[in-house]
Amino acid sequence: MHMKKLIALGLAALMTTTSISAALSQPINENPLSDPRVRQAIAYAIDMDTIIETIFEGQAVRAIGMLPDGPNKPTDLIHYDYDPDKARALLAEAGWDSSRELDMVYYYTDQATADLMAALQAYLADVGITMNYRLVEGDVASQISVLPDDPVNGPSKVTWDFLYGARAALALQEYFNRYAYGLKPMIPNIPRMNELVAKVNGTTDPEVQREGYFEMEHIINENVYQIPLYYQQLYTYESDRLHRNDAPYGNEQYNYNWGVENWTIDPDSAGKGVLYTNAGPAQFFEVPWQNLGIWVQNKFAFDTVLEADGSLTPIGGEMADTYEVSEDGLTFTFTLKDGLTWHDGEPITTEDIIWSIGAAAKYPVTHPVLQSTFKKIEGSEAFISGEAETLAGVTAEGNTITIKFSTLDPNVLLTFSQFAPLPSKHFDGVDPVTLQQAPFWQKPIGSGPFMIDEVVMNDYTTLVPFEGYHKGTPKIEQIIARPSSDNDGNLIVNAQAAKADFGYTKVAGDVPALEALDFMNVYPIDIPYTRMLWINQFPHPTN
Amino acid sequence: MLTYIIRRILILIPMAFVICFLVYLGLELTPGDAVSHMINPDAAGSMDPRQLEALRQSLGLGQPFHVRFWSWFTNLIQGNFGYSMSGGVPISNIVATRLPATLELAAVALVFSTVIGSILGVVSALQRGSKTDSVLTVIGMLGVSIPEFFFGLVAILVFALNLGWFPVGGRSMPGYVTLWDRLPHLVMPAMVLSIMLTAGVMRYARSSMLDALSRDFIKTARSKGLPEWRVNVLHGFRVALTPVVVLIGFRLPVLIGGSVIIEQVFQWPGIGNEFISAVRSQDYPVVMTIALLSVMAVLVASLIVDVLTAVIDPRVRLGE
Repeated sequence: MHMKKLIALGLAALMTTTSISAALSQPINENPLSDPRVRQAIAYAIDMDTIIETIFEGQAVRAIGMLPDGPNKPTDLIHYDYDPDKARALLAEAGWDSSRELDMVYYYTDQATADLMAALQAYLADVGITMNYRLVEGDVASQISVLPDDPVNGPSKVTWDFLYGARAALALQEYFNRYAYGLKPMIPNIPRMNELVAKVNGTTDPEVQREGYFEMEHIINENVYQIPLYYQQLYTYESDRLHRNDAPYGNEQYNYNWGVENWTIDPDSAGKGVLYTNAGPAQFFEVPWQNLGIWVQNKFAFDTVLEADGSLTPIGGEMADTYEVSEDGLTFTFTLKDGLTWHDGEPITTEDIIWSIGAAAKYPVTHPVLQSTFKKIEGSEAFISGEAETLAGVTAEGNTITIKFSTLDPNVLLTFSQFAPLPSKHFDGVDPVTLQQAPFWQKPIGSGPFMIDEVVMNDYTTLVPFEGYHKGTPKIEQIIARPSSDNDGNLIVNAQAAKADFGYTKVAGDVPALEALDFMNVYPIDIPYTRMLWINQFPHPTN
Repeated sequence: MLTYIIRRILILIPMAFVICFLVYLGLELTPGDAVSHMINPDAAGSMDPRQLEALRQSLGLGQPFHVRFWSWFTNLIQGNFGYSMSGGVPISNIVATRLPATLELAAVALVFSTVIGSILGVVSALQRGSKTDSVLTVIGMLGVSIPEFFFGLVAILVFALNLGWFPVGGRSMPGYVTLWDRLPHLVMPAMVLSIMLTAGVMRYARSSMLDALSRDFIKTARSKGLPEWRVNVLHGFRVALTPVVVLIGFRLPVLIGGSVIIEQVFQWPGIGNEFISAVRSQDYPVVMTIALLSVMAVLVASLIVDVLTAVIDPRVRLGE
């Protein structure tokens, strides 16, 4: 048993060097999916170009590598273009047992995913791999993310062979962070990846980060630890009535400098400038720390501390007048603009900001990037556990807030460009753990360009301009938001009825219907959202 | 009759308890809980399990099944419906805002379908074998066979998008105050909801009227020289009404729970929409309250039907 573990450790260590890994080409345990040749064969067996053209109606981009196109992705990655003959040859070389049945799980309930599963099944069958697929429901996390006790030898605690899912990253580190030791439910430990994850998280130097991303991309690509399938796109739609007046476009799921206060809209028959949108609340407004900009009313109603551009690169202050990060990256200081107020006219204070940072650290479903930043603040562990009453690393003097970190966080500016503080006085006696249950979320008071005016839950919500907003009073007179989920099933009907002037969709099937409306403009936006297959390479009970 | 009614009411309580327990058990056996539905699966592996556990404990999800059920039930008896786990809203508020929307829809549909369905059914029966009867029979078959969502989509396409007569959905808009303001929003969903009901009532009324018209007392009435309308309406229709009342009575709770599809298609902010949302997010206090309402509606409707049947038809003796 000890010898077996030693061999596995040795092989895992050897696999960290990309030049050796290709030559190794053999399984590292009894699971044949631990053989890189089998994984490569699977990659060659799938014709993603055809899948994108047919199932996704051309509304997606084939993925080469984990990261979206850009300066942080190497250009010399292996493409694994569709080649079923090569797939069969690799499987034969690896001694693939064609009687083996593989189990694919997925958690998306849309029709395109079901069609994709059927297509993948057919492509794999064509090269001699039998695969059955099933939808996981309920507590998805416990079925896809539970970690093995032994991150080197397994066995895995997840029972599937493939998982179809996605990585939607706010920070590029998110694509790779689960390669850190002990965080992968399905891939035996890769020591070099541990080092690289630490490298990209341990610096704010973009050049050093880029080196790390390049090497990690190569390791994953050559060994096919995961199979990136396609980059999902986001489509912003706007009616002809709406004029953004040169405001930039960006990733609508997050906060960026969209300049909504300068947007204008043609008046309706009553002479009023009303903008119709969707994603209004059905039962409550969601805390803006969880899904950041996904719910458009949060972006209308809340300002963030800093501001990002459309590609989510921090570019300046929003509530902050000035800010700076110390040379060692361990201290972040910012000064609030003078005269900021909440929508109820109360001044925005440093106490509000400090309370909000602490509450966001404690709130269990705060976005992982924000959580990661807040948990690196000095004293955060004691504060979250309840041992300390205050967050020791956050202090204020006048209008200036200083945040001291115990370890460097590469995404401090990114976090604060997405972080919307809340008015603390409305949360007296509220446990941040159950923040969403506070009555405040029936009609929140924000700090952004529009104020929430009338709320008829699950019917409509109206927003009106915040007079005296620090960037200028918005020009649109009223916003009417109909309720919908992230994927609005009524989008097309509402758009056809001229009740959708602005919004976004990630549903490929919506795009042709929106484009067919002669008064609607649709803009594809590249977003960091990679759909992929995870491959379970540990021994597991169903092997 | 009073004794019978009291006895039935007393039986309602244990029946409702057992049904609620079974619903609760079903929820318990469903994988996951309210917290697992708050997390985007894409980010599931990135959340701190200790903090998620703290949230579960705060929401009372850490307690054993029987403790949670008993706590829910005892609170209910004291008039406390609890709070939504998803958003902390008092469930009494949810019911108070959503139920009127559903009742409004159901009431219009019920009245429309009862009146139109009964009239068409009687006409069809009185003109048995005629072209009118054949046409109404075919329409009835279509109404019963074609799913509501299809009628809904066709209605939106024709009357909202092409003709522009009605809005595509929603119950109201900013500035609406009275029912009259909201009427354009109500027309399409109410009419579509009533199509299947109308067809059902019509077919039921027709067969029941035909059955009544073949009875001896109708022949007796005719032989006494009564006018034909009096024979049909006062003698025939009154007897034919009994099974129709039974049908309508049992449709009332179905309307409350069964308008889910219509509420989805027409973006109607009713209790059915809320129920679907609560089931998806495993918000069990909300699911249980709405389930309880449905259960009570069925049981009470059953009692009302029994009483009405006895009132309409003197041959029926309650409790015997």
